[in-house]
Amino acid sequence: MEEKKYKQSDEEIAALIQAGDIDFFEVLIRRYKEKMMRYARKFLSDGEDINDIVQEIFIKVYANIQSFDTKRKFSSWLYRIAHNELVNTLKKRKKNTLPLFELDTFLPHSLRDDSLRQNLDRRDIQEMINKCLDQLELKYREPIILYYLENLSYKEIAEIMRVPISTVGIRIKRAKKIMKSIFKKLEYNL
Amino acid sequence: MNNEPEKNSITDKVLNKIKSGEVKMKSKTYFILRMVLLILSTLVLIFFIIYFVSFIIFSLRASGVLFLPKFGFPGIKIFLNSLPWLLIFISAILIILLEIFAKKFTFVYRRPILYSLLAIIMIVVIGSLLVEKTPFHSNLFWKTQEGHLPIMRTVYRDFGVPRTGNIYHGVISEVVGNDFKIETPRGEILAIVVSSKTRPILETDIKEGDAIVVLGERKNGIIQALDIRKVKKDSNLFRSQRMRGYKLLVE
Repeated sequence: MEEKKYKQSDEEIAALIQAGDIDFFEVLIRRYKEKMMRYARKFLSDGEDINDIVQEIFIKVYANIQSFDTKRKFSSWLYRIAHNELVNTLKKRKKNTLPLFELDTFLPHSLRDDSLRQNLDRRDIQEMINKCLDQLELKYREPIILYYLENLSYKEIAEIMRVPISTVGIRIKRAKKIMKSIFKKLEYNL
Repeated sequence: MNNEPEKNSITDKVLNKIKSGEVKMKSKTYFILRMVLLILSTLVLIFFIIYFVSFIIFSLRASGVLFLPKFGFPGIKIFLNSLPWLLIFISAILIILLEIFAKKFTFVYRRPILYSLLAIIMIVVIGSLLVEKTPFHSNLFWKTQEGHLPIMRTVYRDFGVPRTGNIYHGVISEVVGNDFKIETPRGEILAIVVSSKTRPILETDIKEGDAIVVLGERKNGIIQALDIRKVKKDSNLFRSQRMRGYKLLVE
């Protein structure tokens, strides 16, 4: 039983929980607790209530697990719940939040494949993120966290944020530009 | 490392809440019903918008406003002034509401809003034009006139009433010399006077039974025509034409 728990994919475990084997939920918590803590910490950019928020995320995951389609990726679905929970937390605190409409979701953008360049500067970007993430607007902060820190694809990020894939690309591109200018102001030499 | 007990406490707290029954798993039926409700609401909204927009086109056509651009620049000016801007504004709001509903579906939110908005507008325009081509609105109008469907009566009360006093639409019921009489879609008989002020009629074969639009001033039930245009006749709009059609069907 123990061995079975650790060999199965997230989606298989989710299917078992849906079928009533709720003991398997512990495996999902253990697999994603760290990631959720990190995501919430970066998203909210302050340390308060992180434990309570992550706890609430897992409670919502359990309550809504029957709506999860096991043919799709569990992690994207989990991050979507986390995204909603974190946005709602910010709304309650009346802090920087996502507006209902953004112009960059309205028009199509070309998605140039610059993955080679992205791999080359990934380490630089990660360093920049750690130093100036707080100064980024939420709509730029979130795709940067998900792409560079959580290593999710554009497609997964688009599913989580419910925006077109090309919008994810454009936001990451703009976020990098903003971070570079912040870095310049802080007199870091890139 | 110091956070380890806290992290474990998250696991324990969540699992305790599940095992104690404080947190319950929502059933699959709940999510299926929610999805069905969302699909039904979206469909109802689409049908409602199509009904609304087709009614706007129908009422513009019945009042003759839709034919105003045929009179050139002055006609376009009156046309713009005569448009039911409030109804158009409400339709635009409903289309935005539909876009918000549609964004709940994967195939919609994956694409830029521009695409889904254009698709919605296309569906609404095509749907409205198709509905408007059928006798749907005229049937509803005549039913309300006959005392059926009292709720719809308010909607169709102002049907075919021109918003400006300068445009009249009807079927020629009698030709008297140069002048003639027309029957409007509401069954009103109006006398049209052709004078030296009237722009020469381009369509020389105007005769009884033809549908026309007249631009002119109304005094004591008589219209001093400034311009006249022949338009495509829609038998669904005019009671007498409908009755004739009905008789033919019976015979």
